[in-house]
Amino acid sequence: MKKLTTVLLMPLLLAITCCSKKTQSGGDNNPPPNPPQEVEEAVYDETGCLYTSYRNLVMAGYQGWFAAEGDESNRGWYHFQNGSCGGFKPGCSAVDFWPDMTEYTKKYPSPFSFANGSNAPLYSPYDEESVDLHFKWMKDYGIDGVFMQRFVVEIKESNPSGKRHFNKVLENALKAAEKYQRAICVMYDLSGCSAADVAYLEKDWNELQSLFSLFDNKKHPTYIRHNGKPLLSIWGVGFNDNRQYSIADADALISKLKGPEKKISVMLGVPYYWRTLSKDTESSSALHTLAKKCDIIMPWAVGRYNNDSYNNVAGGELAGDIQWCQANKLDYVPLVFPGFSWGNLKNDVNAYNSIPRLKGDFLWKQVAGAKISGAKSLYVAMFDEIDEGTGIYKCAKEDALPLHGDKKFVGIENELASDYYLWLTGQAGKWFRGESGFSATKPAR
Amino acid sequence: MNKIISILFIGLLAFTSCKKDNYDAPNAGLSGRFVDAETGELVQQDIIRGTQIEIFEHGYGTGQLQYLIVKNDGTYENSLLFANTYTIKPVRGNFIAVEPQDINIQGKTTLDFTVTPYIRLKDVSINKNGNKVVASFKLEQKVINNIKKIGLYAHSDSRVGEPMRLVAAEQELNAVSDPNHTYTLEIDLDANSSVLKAGTSYYFRAGALIDIGDAKLNYAPAVKL
Repeated sequence: MKKLTTVLLMPLLLAITCCSKKTQSGGDNNPPPNPPQEVEEAVYDETGCLYTSYRNLVMAGYQGWFAAEGDESNRGWYHFQNGSCGGFKPGCSAVDFWPDMTEYTKKYPSPFSFANGSNAPLYSPYDEESVDLHFKWMKDYGIDGVFMQRFVVEIKESNPSGKRHFNKVLENALKAAEKYQRAICVMYDLSGCSAADVAYLEKDWNELQSLFSLFDNKKHPTYIRHNGKPLLSIWGVGFNDNRQYSIADADALISKLKGPEKKISVMLGVPYYWRTLSKDTESSSALHTLAKKCDIIMPWAVGRYNNDSYNNVAGGELAGDIQWCQANKLDYVPLVFPGFSWGNLKNDVNAYNSIPRLKGDFLWKQVAGAKISGAKSLYVAMFDEIDEGTGIYKCAKEDALPLHGDKKFVGIENELASDYYLWLTGQAGKWFRGESGFSATKPAR
Repeated sequence: MNKIISILFIGLLAFTSCKKDNYDAPNAGLSGRFVDAETGELVQQDIIRGTQIEIFEHGYGTGQLQYLIVKNDGTYENSLLFANTYTIKPVRGNFIAVEPQDINIQGKTTLDFTVTPYIRLKDVSINKNGNKVVASFKLEQKVINNIKKIGLYAHSDSRVGEPMRLVAAEQELNAVSDPNHTYTLEIDLDANSSVLKAGTSYYFRAGALIDIGDAKLNYAPAVKL
């Protein structure tokens, strides 16, 4: 049977391949097939660029997703409000922490009041002056810069108000980054995407580049570069939480974004157990194939450990990850976070301070753990994330919080100043930039 | 002798040529060493319950994982493998996890693993001091985890270690080690004279265990006293 098939198919196959060859060459002489086209690698002028590598930097994630009622975004109390309990009012909020509003020049009265009856105002990142203040703090405290979060589902074509919001916040941030000489980078978050949304990202990314002249070294000397290319971060690949897009979708996207000219460098945001493809990670080696096409690996560590379990959980992972990345010539950026609290977002009193900050002990333990394990850079989650209580920016202390009906807000520990976590992150910045005098012992202020 | 082998070999060929479908005999082998990436020294192991090498034969294999044992001195050898491509991964080791790799094993194939041990025992001395054997050493750990315990182990066999000992002196640390501290452990020979007979030589080996999953102890080489 086999022989018969071979005999029958062979000439047919040969005939077909012969035909196709002719069609391709377009002539009867059958010249050798065209050699693969050599595409020249993209080269960028980095003259004047202040951040040509993520190495030796401490950068944070920047959400910028809040809106205040009365600001020009017209998005109400976006991200302060909590739909599951009726909006933004005493007894209902999405946020656990409350920003320390002392230094903001543009404030909006909120539905919340302090015990003395005075209104507790809030800021909006839609306002240039508020984002300016945040970047001023980064400079004052020695934090190298931020990754501007861009949730694809928030900026897609069916969501014009979201796109307008995030473009304005990015505009504010680019301006402030240049003013205060802070590193800045766009970071897409794929959470909630469909496969089509993932593909849409390319369009948005092209728009951003032309809208802001992102890669203009004179206009944006602080847009971060890495391996000689502008850096872009794509977050959320390989998680095994039933996402509607696949590793293959992300791989196709990143291959297109880089292109044969290798137009950009990519930092890939992956789950914590990405290397062993276990626990929070899809069991598919396609993730490793994709990782090797990127430039930096940044695993998501929020919620994976607390102060007590950190050494045991993170020790082996950090060492193994760093070794893997070295072997594959990738850079590796561990994530550190000050603590975690989402009691109001989840309407769960047990979720207040579910990973306690311990006056910075927890944050510093991770900073030292990463440094001692050989990490060269840090990603701090996050600068202004108070829904999940990971923010490092100035927040109200425990004794200066607004009233919250039958709920509560979580504050910065009373023994600390409201800027303590900015300060401590700045100390990490000094250590990672090479200053001496730091160790596993938390620095004293 | 050579002649006999040749005859046997020809016989084997004859046998294998009988049936084309037969596998070749398992005439390939894999051997190698676990080498410390920094010091270039062999990474000491346990022969019992120690680091193993997980191997998976591609294609014709049974689909089952096989495990190779690593010897105390950090070398390993298996000479009864079928020539084929294998995925090879050291598991349950005493070093920072290394990635699996595919290797084509033909004839006598060598594969060394360059690894970073979790802990290095430094400035080790194990001496007889009166009726006591005293071990002192410093610890250099390469990961941030706690060190669970340190131990001094004695056995008549040179493959002495935590799982293979007649007598042990152990100390729980459950802390990150201090690189400047000299750790000391001792075994009282008089108190253990029923096991460690006077006038007989024994092997002594010092080790430390990192607190990571199913990690194994790291050791300094054994000393005969």
